[in-house]
Amino acid sequence: MSENKLNKEQLLLDLLKKKFILNESAVRRAKRVEVKVDPKEIIPVLLYAKENSRYISFAHMSCVDWIEDGEFEVVYILWNPEDKINLFVKTRISRDNGVLPNIDFIWRQANTYEREIREMFGIQFEGLVGRQEFILEDWEHMPPMRRDFDTAEFVKKTYFKRPGREDAKDVREFVQERTDEELPDFAKKYSRD
Amino acid sequence: MREKTTTLYLGPQHPGITGNMMVKLQVQGDTVVKAETHVGYLHRGFEKLMERRNWLQSFTIVCRICVPEPDPNEENYSRAVEEIEGREVPERAKYIRVMTLELARIATYLLWYGGQSGSAGLYTMGQWSVGDRNYILDLFEDLTGGRIYHMYIWPGGVRRDLPKGFKDKALRTMDYIEKRLDDYDKLLFENSIFQKRAKGVGIIDKKKAVEWGVVGPPLRGCGIKSDVRIDDPYEVYDKLDFEVPAMEGGDVWTRALIRRFEIRQSINLVRQALDKMPGGEYYNKIPNPHKWTIPAGDAFVKTESARGEFGYYMVSDGGNKPRRVHVKGPAYVHGVSLLENLLEGENIADVSFIMNSLGTCPPEIER
Amino acid sequence: MAFFDLKGLLSPVTGLKQFGKKPHTIMFPDVAEHASDRYRGLHFNKLEDCIGCGNCSTICMNEAIDMIQIAGYEGKKGDSGLRPRVDNGRCCWCALCVEVCPTGSLNLTKDYIFVTPDANDFLWTPGIDNKEKGEENISFYSDKETSLSDYSRVPMRELDGDVRIQSFAEAVLGYNEEEARKEASRCISCGLCTESCPDHMHIPEYINAIARENDEDALRIIYDNNPLPEMCGKVCTRRCEDVCAMTHRGDAIAIRWLKRYATETAKNAEIIKEIVNPEIKEANGKKISIIGAGPSGLTAGYYLALRGFDVTIYEAKAKAGGMTFYGIPKYRLPAESLEKQVGYMQSIGVKINFNTRVGKDIDFKEIYNNSDAVFMGVGFEKPWTLGITGEDLNGSLQAVTYLDVINGGGDMEIGDKVAVIGGGNVAIDAARVARRKGADVTIVYRRRVEDMPADWEEIEGAEDEGVHIMPQGIPIEVIGDKNGKVTGLKFARAEMIPDPDGGRPRPKQIEGSEEIMEVTSVIGAIGQEGDYSFIPDDMKNQIKIERGRFVVDENKQTTLPKLFAGGDSANRTADAISAIADGFRAVKAIEKMLMK
Repeated sequence: MSENKLNKEQLLLDLLKKKFILNESAVRRAKRVEVKVDPKEIIPVLLYAKENSRYISFAHMSCVDWIEDGEFEVVYILWNPEDKINLFVKTRISRDNGVLPNIDFIWRQANTYEREIREMFGIQFEGLVGRQEFILEDWEHMPPMRRDFDTAEFVKKTYFKRPGREDAKDVREFVQERTDEELPDFAKKYSRD
Repeated sequence: MREKTTTLYLGPQHPGITGNMMVKLQVQGDTVVKAETHVGYLHRGFEKLMERRNWLQSFTIVCRICVPEPDPNEENYSRAVEEIEGREVPERAKYIRVMTLELARIATYLLWYGGQSGSAGLYTMGQWSVGDRNYILDLFEDLTGGRIYHMYIWPGGVRRDLPKGFKDKALRTMDYIEKRLDDYDKLLFENSIFQKRAKGVGIIDKKKAVEWGVVGPPLRGCGIKSDVRIDDPYEVYDKLDFEVPAMEGGDVWTRALIRRFEIRQSINLVRQALDKMPGGEYYNKIPNPHKWTIPAGDAFVKTESARGEFGYYMVSDGGNKPRRVHVKGPAYVHGVSLLENLLEGENIADVSFIMNSLGTCPPEIER
Repeated sequence: MAFFDLKGLLSPVTGLKQFGKKPHTIMFPDVAEHASDRYRGLHFNKLEDCIGCGNCSTICMNEAIDMIQIAGYEGKKGDSGLRPRVDNGRCCWCALCVEVCPTGSLNLTKDYIFVTPDANDFLWTPGIDNKEKGEENISFYSDKETSLSDYSRVPMRELDGDVRIQSFAEAVLGYNEEEARKEASRCISCGLCTESCPDHMHIPEYINAIARENDEDALRIIYDNNPLPEMCGKVCTRRCEDVCAMTHRGDAIAIRWLKRYATETAKNAEIIKEIVNPEIKEANGKKISIIGAGPSGLTAGYYLALRGFDVTIYEAKAKAGGMTFYGIPKYRLPAESLEKQVGYMQSIGVKINFNTRVGKDIDFKEIYNNSDAVFMGVGFEKPWTLGITGEDLNGSLQAVTYLDVINGGGDMEIGDKVAVIGGGNVAIDAARVARRKGADVTIVYRRRVEDMPADWEEIEGAEDEGVHIMPQGIPIEVIGDKNGKVTGLKFARAEMIPDPDGGRPRPKQIEGSEEIMEVTSVIGAIGQEGDYSFIPDDMKNQIKIERGRFVVDENKQTTLPKLFAGGDSANRTADAISAIADGFRAVKAIEKMLMK
């Protein structure tokens, strides 16, 4: 990809850089531009992109749980139907009591995304109107898309195992028993899972 | 005259043919005054499941997000993995993928014929088109070993090369379907019942459509030429010759016409892909799946499915399992906020008719 | 639109023309729908080809596959004896199990109709429950090309043959990091190899640690039951690789080279100690003597020292390592490498008394009486002779003697044309050493090349270096001149007679095929035996010795309770890793005996 071809992308980036404090930004590839901002900058950046840069279409919104960092990363993906560019606006908030501004007055359908993220990750959006329950009904555990929600554990507690498969053997353990191999505990994390 | 408002629950058992969801309608007489969609009957937690499965295992899950057209999911999953990992895909595989995707599009449109006409009470059409869809499924069976869930497009290419005699059989099937489309026209599009039901119903405002993120045939039915295959070409679509129809109107009828044109485009694309397909490798083999790790990074990939733009946002933390796979199906927008808005003021009998024309598909709303 | 839209009313009626046409549907079950050649239907497993590696079970994302014991399939080396059972209620027919099956025994079939009123029937064992129906209907399979197993080994870089013969520099260069990660990532972690390893090393775990870029953990896992891993990483007979799941359709994982890679990351004894950082138990006051600082003795010494025993090793020679030092040429196992490993052992408290030959410099009985237990790892020092005329001539020598002298730093006159007799690793070693000394070397072996017990890599290495191999040659006589100096080898050609009992074919001399090869020396390499003269006769009577080996039980205990034995003088496999295994097992038994 030659430099020329990324002109539009670079232009957008320069514009945003001039206007806002960006934590990090890059032209990822053709048709993909990424900026990272603080949560309080979200609405100004999105509004600017929509009103001034023709990023009129709201393509996607997603959330990633970075439990190691104690943060959620929320990404807004916008689409400019004229320049054919996807703009990623990323922001990070704390996992505990993180709050984001509601943006469904900019794009109506963001409401759906926000409802889902609220339900699945437990992020609150200031002023979001919409039924609490979206996909999950009568859910009483922690928001399930959080990394610390262990599905295997949940299944074990919630359902019983169908009888008839107790005779299954682990190949590695089976051969170990046959040979009296003693595997030290610290090595077990490298065994096949 | 003031009428009493009644609450009507449509679904969750397959309203029309769109899948298990429920639309809670407030009706006055025959007119809907307020609609509220309730999903959650098909939530299988695929995105969560993928957190516990390795990169290859997850590939077998994604096709289940959409029954009528699983292939865009496989395509998106594979392309996202390839983009993060930087894995090259052989040219031949790209053509095979395009062919598979277009076959899937034809199959989906044939199923849509059934759904759309069925919700208007025209059942013969559905019998025909779903029967003819089986010939496409036969092709898939030959190609992939499965009729509905193909699990064929996977990271690095496709799973198997074309079997012997596939090209001839595919071309024969295309000829057959093309011929049948004329019969369909007579039965559906020239049918005054259908015309009367479809025209002027479920109108989407053009300006709203773009802002709201409407995609696929509903957007093109508002006169906006927008198609991922052209706007953000993937695989080899930029090397193929095809046209994306767009028509002003925004109602069920326009959307139906768009699909009627597109199915012909897809038949043409299948022929082109088969014709231009180069020889060589069909697969850039992945390493041992148990120890396959993908460098940290993220990607947002899009595929034009029969119902519009299908997006995948994928994040890798450098491990052997996906950190996050977020599926954005076209129905996510069509099926919740747009549908609620659109149904207001419509006739009860038109609810599932409109849902079918939007391509509402609950499994991709809740995944 | 007019109210009467004539076209709109009539067009649909044209659908009536379909009446009378042949229907597209079929009459089931009179006409069965025929599945395609690639159909993904019910599983079928060729039970004889299956090795029970369980790869299908681990890749299954629905947890539909269990590995179970089946009557009639006993486990053996390279086969766990378990076979997959599929829960068809969970299966989604993605066929990943087929794609990852290393042997290709698991397939899907065209058969897809399975109706039962009992849900438990969905649990069935492919290959047993559809024995006939399955085999005929195989449709979805994986061959070498489509399989997701990576069958090609990362090639090992080595010096070229003509460079190698210039010096005793190490011929094999070892994997670099990238190569090691790539090779390690081929492993499917089934662990079948561990059964074949006499020492049952934790192979899948340390390979996985390498694949996950944690070389230090790999080293720690390796040191759990092998204190001479670098030696093994260079010269092990690697029985593990013989049974690797990948061998069924491709190259075994280079287990030996990966171990070598992991051990070479620790450059010296201090670093090994730092990484392994073993827990050394407090001294328990028990005294253990070990005779012979070969692999078995060193192993016993290391693990006994870790367990708090007071260990002294008596070694007749100046260097530790036994046959691995004096028998294996330095281009395979450099002296520094062995010294590094022995140095590490000494650093954790193993005492080695060099140049102390038991029976000569110190009395065996004295050692025995002053110790709580004695371990003998004395090896086979005495070479067998060929038993043909002329073997006492000047220039006729034994390979172990020759290697011993060269490895000890000395030299021995062999002339410029050498015949080596034998087909084992010792023969190849002697030949390649003689080649490095500038001689033209021919290996004379009774059977065919493929029958040679030597490592195939060693045979290839010898050929690369210009060693001639003459298979099916039976030596008859060593010929000398009037000064008693070797001038030639008389040998005969052999033909291979198939063994009626199904064993390997036997060589039979072809009448009248005798030839004489002009040589300056003949090196015999057909085997060694033990020399137990250091044990006083009155004690020897109490120790059971059979066919030249101490008789030991599974704890490596001889018929004298305090006396243990391991290595070549106690097992029949005659390799370093078995010696290490013996040493390790004896440690456990000694600890049990003394510390209860």
